[in-house]
Amino acid sequence: MTVSSTGTPTTRVIGGLALLITGWVVVSAFFITPADSVQGDSVRIMYAHVPTAWIAYLAFVTTAIASGFSVARRHRTLGFDRVAGASAEVGVLFMAMTLITGSLWGRLTWGTFWQWDPRLTTTLFLFVTYVGYLAVRRIDTDPRQRASRSSVIALLAVLEIPLVHFSVVLWRSLHQEASVLNTDGDVRLDGLMLFTLFSGVVAFTLIFVWLVIHRQRLTTLSDLERVVGLDAAITARRAENSAGVTA
Amino acid sequence: MDLTPREVSEAPRPRRRILPAVVAVLAAVGGLAVVAVFLTSSVDYYCNVDEVGVRDGCADDQRLRVQGNVDEGSLQSRAGQTSFVLSFNGVSLPVDYEGEPGGVFQECIPVVAHGRVVDGILVATRIEVKHSNEYKAENADRLDQAEKTACS
Amino acid sequence: MKDLGFILASWLITLGSIGMLAVVTTRQARRLSTRVPDDVKPWV
Repeated sequence: MTVSSTGTPTTRVIGGLALLITGWVVVSAFFITPADSVQGDSVRIMYAHVPTAWIAYLAFVTTAIASGFSVARRHRTLGFDRVAGASAEVGVLFMAMTLITGSLWGRLTWGTFWQWDPRLTTTLFLFVTYVGYLAVRRIDTDPRQRASRSSVIALLAVLEIPLVHFSVVLWRSLHQEASVLNTDGDVRLDGLMLFTLFSGVVAFTLIFVWLVIHRQRLTTLSDLERVVGLDAAITARRAENSAGVTA
Repeated sequence: MDLTPREVSEAPRPRRRILPAVVAVLAAVGGLAVVAVFLTSSVDYYCNVDEVGVRDGCADDQRLRVQGNVDEGSLQSRAGQTSFVLSFNGVSLPVDYEGEPGGVFQECIPVVAHGRVVDGILVATRIEVKHSNEYKAENADRLDQAEKTACS
Repeated sequence: MKDLGFILASWLITLGSIGMLAVVTTRQARRLSTRVPDDVKPWV
């Protein structure tokens, strides 16, 4: 009997914890945390928006680190490349959610869905870069060629992250400066708001880990399927030839 | 074992997929477009009120984005027209805006007004609220305190 | 709650997208798993 999934006891624990903490974050964001003194209830979007942005950064950094290991080993093992690809896929999804939730929050707070300000523009650029990275990964059907091409892009693209994060400090932006990871080290959030935000980061990190493990295994299965298919073809050819010899 | 190669109509070539290549090219073009829009709409998003007519790129004969705080007691709304005074670093600029600003627009809050300066008044076509990076719970104590220290 | 539509939309889009990716991933994994023998799957 074949194992019909990419799950293991460890991923089930991670998934269960992620669901549990996400449940708490939703309850806290909607019913427990107070409205903000200026923004009112729209602050409740922040508990989804900020963690998705941070996890997107984490995903792209993971992609770069895994690509670095893949390059260092001259792509002899494809495990690192698969992690890089899986992490970028999840990162692109989270970055898309950052842009959408940020746009909704912007309409309520700034009065506009979108402006070409430094933070929004660099974030969009980062998103487009990684969409391109994922497209490049799908051009080649050979896994080794895929690894060597995409790792170069991953190692260059990660340099955009400091530009995005510090865009609000480097230039004048409509977007506010960071409330937690800022240059002066002060945390500008009330206690329960901060705890809910922190819980959101933990929940989304667990979701990220769960998704990356499963998608990395999915790529492994896809690569293995090709090898298994090739092996079967060789066996069939051998059988065909030996039948010809005996005939 | 017969290992003679099978006859094939043409030599096998490494397989490449077309659709991802198209998406990759579109992403590259899109990325360049984003950078182009960013650079042409000026890297610094706004000029502060005290820089209008003083700083490079903030000449008062062109369309500007001006940032400042809405002065306390300056906000007036009449027949769909909103007027207020924008101040920054001790310099003030009256603003006229056709319509009601959206977002969390109010007095004592930083805003960015888009428009042209006509006879010393910024005729705005767009108002955006520039929210600070502080998040505080909405409660009675805070409201009292906020009223006491409004615009300070 | 003020602006509930925007707030709900943000959360539904966020959790919905994550949920969809999780479902798609699990389905693809089930489909591919049957085509690959267990002895070559590193996690088994």
